[in-house]
Order: sequence, then C-alpha cells, then structure tokens
Amino acid sequence: MRFNPSLTARLRIGFAVLFVLLGIVSLLGVGRLFQIRVDYEDDVSRYFQLELETERLRSAFILEQAAARATSANQKLNRAELNGAAGTFGDAANRAGEFTGSDIDLAAGLEQLISNEDAWRQGVAKPIVRGKLPARGVERRLTESVTDSVDGLAASTRAARDDSRDDARSDTRNTTILVAIALIGGVLAALILFSGLINSMRAPLGRLVEGARRLAGGDLKTRVEVGGPVEISTLGSAFNEMANSLERDARERDRVERMKDDFVLTVSHELRTPVTVVKGFAEMLTEQRRTLNARQYEAAEVIAESASQLQNMINDLLDLARSDAGKLRIEPEPTPVRRLAQRIGRQMRPHFEEKDQQLTVSVEKDIPDVEADPDRIGQVLANLLSNANKYAQEGAQVRLAASQVGDEIEFAVSDNGPGLGKDELDHVFDRFWRAQSGETQAVGGTGLGLAIAKSLVELHGGAISANSVPGKGATFRFVLPIAKDGRPSREGAGGKVEAKAAQ
Amino acid sequence: MTRLLVADDSETVLLMLQRRLEMEGYDVVTATDGLEALDRLKEAGPRQPDVILLDAMMPNMSGLEVLEELRNSGSKIPVLMISAHLDAQEPDQMRKLGATYCIPKPFEWDDLLGRIEELAS
Repeated sequence: MRFNPSLTARLRIGFAVLFVLLGIVSLLGVGRLFQIRVDYEDDVSRYFQLELETERLRSAFILEQAAARATSANQKLNRAELNGAAGTFGDAANRAGEFTGSDIDLAAGLEQLISNEDAWRQGVAKPIVRGKLPARGVERRLTESVTDSVDGLAASTRAARDDSRDDARSDTRNTTILVAIALIGGVLAALILFSGLINSMRAPLGRLVEGARRLAGGDLKTRVEVGGPVEISTLGSAFNEMANSLERDARERDRVERMKDDFVLTVSHELRTPVTVVKGFAEMLTEQRRTLNARQYEAAEVIAESASQLQNMINDLLDLARSDAGKLRIEPEPTPVRRLAQRIGRQMRPHFEEKDQQLTVSVEKDIPDVEADPDRIGQVLANLLSNANKYAQEGAQVRLAASQVGDEIEFAVSDNGPGLGKDELDHVFDRFWRAQSGETQAVGGTGLGLAIAKSLVELHGGAISANSVPGKGATFRFVLPIAKDGRPSREGAGGKVEAKAAQ
Repeated sequence: MTRLLVADDSETVLLMLQRRLEMEGYDVVTATDGLEALDRLKEAGPRQPDVILLDAMMPNMSGLEVLEELRNSGSKIPVLMISAHLDAQEPDQMRKLGATYCIPKPFEWDDLLGRIEELAS
C-alpha cells in the first residue's frame, strides 16, 4: 500500500519537522556561543595571570640584581636577600609555567627568560657573590638579555590575549551567521514542504472542479482521476459514485422513455386497423341510406363520425410518438403555395359553412414555391383552420393568408374570435393543453394538434408562433423556406385571389 | 366488369375492402397472404385481375415479395401497394420493385377508389 497520509497528518508532520529543525538549530547555536564565551573568559584570565607573573619575574630579577650589587659591599647581610629574590623568581617562573598552557610561543618565551636569567646568575650573580666583579660589558649584555626576554614575554602575552579576543569575536560572528543560515534554511524547507502539500491538493481539486462543470453541463460519462491526500481522493471517489448513479438513473429514464414511446407507437398502430374497419363499415351503411330506417341511419352516422374522430386522435398520437422517437419523416419538395392553400381551404370549407363563418384564402401575387411536404403542411394548415373554426363564434371571420417575407414564405391563420390570454399563449403549443376559458371548454380535441404542427414546422426548418388580443381574435403564423429553384408559380389567375366561402 | 385481387392479412379489413369495392361495382377476389394471392392468380387462368391491391406487410409472403415474384414472371398487371409504414424508405423500394402506386394506410376511400379507377382504365 502506498503511503498516503491525510491532509491533517501531512500538516502535523510538516509542523513537527519544522519545529524540530528550528529547535535543534537554536540549541546548537546557543550552546556554541556559550562555549565560545566560556573559552574566551578562561583564556583572558589565564593571560592576565601570566602577565602578572611576568611582572613578578621582572620585579624578582630587579631584586636579585639589587641584592647582588649590595652583596659585593656587604656580603653577609645580602646573601639571604639574594637567595630570597632567587626563590621568588623560581616560584613566579613555576606559576607562569602553569599559565602558558598549550601556547608554544609563550612556553618558549618563558623558557628563554629562565635560561637567560640562569645565564645572568652564572655570569653575574655568582662571580659577585664570590667577590669577583664580572666584566662590565658581560654584565650589561646578560642583564639586557634577561630584561628583553621579560619584555618579550609580556608582549607575547598581550598579543595572545588580543588574538584570543579576536578569535572569540570572529567565532561569535560565524556562529551567529551559521545559525541564521540554518534558521532561514529551516523556514525555506518548511515553505517547500507546505507548497508541496498545497500542490498535492491543487491538481486533484482542479480535476474535481473541471469534472463537476462537465457533469453539470450534461456529460454524464464524466469521471475524475482519484488522487491527492486521503480527504481529496475520498471526495474524488464520492464524485465518481455520484456520476455513476446519475448515469444509471439517466439510462433508466431513457429506457423507460423509449419503452413509453414504443408502447404508444405500437398501441396507436394496432388501434388503427380496427378503427379503420369500423369507420369503413359505418360509412358503407350511411351510403346505403335507402335500406335503413331513420334510427339505423342516425346510429350509422354517429358510429362513422365517432370512428372518424377516433382515427384522427390515433393519427395525432402516432405522429407525436413518431416525432418523439425521431421517426417522423417529411418529404419536402417545391410546392406551389396557391394550390396548397386553396386545396386546404376547399377541404375545410364545409366546417365553416356549418357554423356560418366566413373563410377567406388570400395568397400574395407571384409568390415563389415553398420547400414543404404538401401533405404535412396541409395537415398543419388544416389544424390551424380547424382550431379557428372550433374556437371562434358563429358568423366569425377567418382568414388564411400566405406571403413572402424575406427569403421565407409566411402562412397566417387569423380569426376575430375570443382570442387567447397571455398565459394561454405561453402554453398553446404544449401537448394535451387546451384552451380552458368559458365557452371554449365545450370544444373537443386531444390537445395534440398544435404540438404536432410545431414539430412538423420545425422539422421543415421553419418556426411557428401565436399572438392574440383577447376578445379581438388570434393569429397563428409559421414560416417555411422558399424552394431552392422557387420561381413564382403562375398557376391560376394572377394577382390577389380571394375565394369567398359560400354563404 | 373490372376484376380486382385484394390481399390483406386482417380478415376484417379484407372483408371491408371486399364489400365496399363490390358496392362500387367491382368483381373482387380476396387473399389473406402473399402465397394465397399467387394461388388465386394461378386459379384465375385467363381471367386475370385488372388491378392487384397488396398489403405490404403480410405473414408467409409479404406484398413486396409477391410484387417481386410478379414482375420477375413478366406480369404487367398494375399493383397498388398499401403500406402502414410509408414514412420509411419503403415507397422508393416499392417503386423500384415495380409497384404502380403506393398508398398509405389508413387510406381515404376517395383516394383509394380514384387510384383503382385510374389503374383499371
């Protein structure tokens, strides 16, 4: 198993390492500085002692000189003094020997002094004591060599003390710099550690954000690469589980949706045959009116009419199911607009006559052919006219107009019926929606006609819309593209043709 | 008298077509599938029908197969194909096989009668 500590563990480890590093550096630095101070103090006091002893050696030698001079005059009296001064010199030399420590120069200087002093005793003091005065030049030379040695030792000691102070200073400075460097290093290491920690989170977090955006955008196949500290990799796994479940749900929903579509398609298809047969036989009966009595004829007519309605509903359902399943197909071709409008006008006219309504068909002069499936667009026009016929009151005016608007053909069906409210206009193309207000409630229908009309128009690459002034009437328009080689059709009489409904 | 051969696998549809077409004055022979339709044509001998109405989808032998068989054997009798799936690519296929006309199901009587009259003449 890979070592993958949690975010909090990483933070704890980071801080612990940082504090331990800083602690070690600080302790070592302080200890070293303390040691330097102690050593310096030891050295300084030793050198002071040595200087003191050097001065003692000097004074002891002066006493010895004085004693030796006096001995030449009063031998008995000053012999003891001479010996005492020599003893003092020896004691001082011994103590000084202790203070030179490991310093070779100082030890050598002291050695030199002792041997020079010994040479002086042999060459000056002893002859004097024996009563023989040494040669003047010899005495001065020997005395000067001792005095020089004492001065030399004193100078060396001072120099050693200065060196020691300089060493202590430079050691202190170096140690301080080292500690500072170590502290800065520790902080830098901590920064690197923490930025590594942040980086280890950034990449997986970025992937999560990106994944969440894609998922929100509808790409249900989105999965993220799981990684980073435990908390973030857990979040990543949870995200993937969520995406799995979303995708599963979506697939299930699609399956159910498809099942529903298939079901509607199959059921409407299967219903069609028996309805066709019922309608066929009922119509046959109505055509054999002579052989039926009045009631039988009435029954046959009702059966035929109801079968016809049922057939229309089934056809609507089938169209809608096909549209949902993407199986609704159209065969657009260059279609003469006038012929289409007049055919549908003729087909619908009996319904308008029944309600004493006036239907006007008006087609612009020299209108180009429209690129449309004539049966399907005829169906749309018939539906719009049928709605106007059904919803407008008796004696109303209904107009079917076609004109060229830019590079499109616009069809408009308008009436001066009750119209539709703003809320109703928003839903007029919804499935199973039907105008609910007042008197229009009595109107039958599946509420599918306009939904199918919309699908068909859009399948042609066109658009349909409705507008209305409540109480004044409603207008439904749709536009379709002009046929590519859409020359103006010149069938029928040129100019504006208005076919009036028979009154 | 114009003779028609009508083939449809739904007996009620077949009966309706037969009665209605008889009412219009046609001599109607019926078949419930493609094989039966071919049998009827053989039985008819020299009294071959003037127009054949075929449902495109039938068990045993479909209308399309009957059409193919007929055209392969050199028959030139006009065939009116009735299909419930005209929204598919079938019309092209049917015309390629030699259907004289295709009509969608459910049909309008006027449309159907008009076509038959046209083909019979």
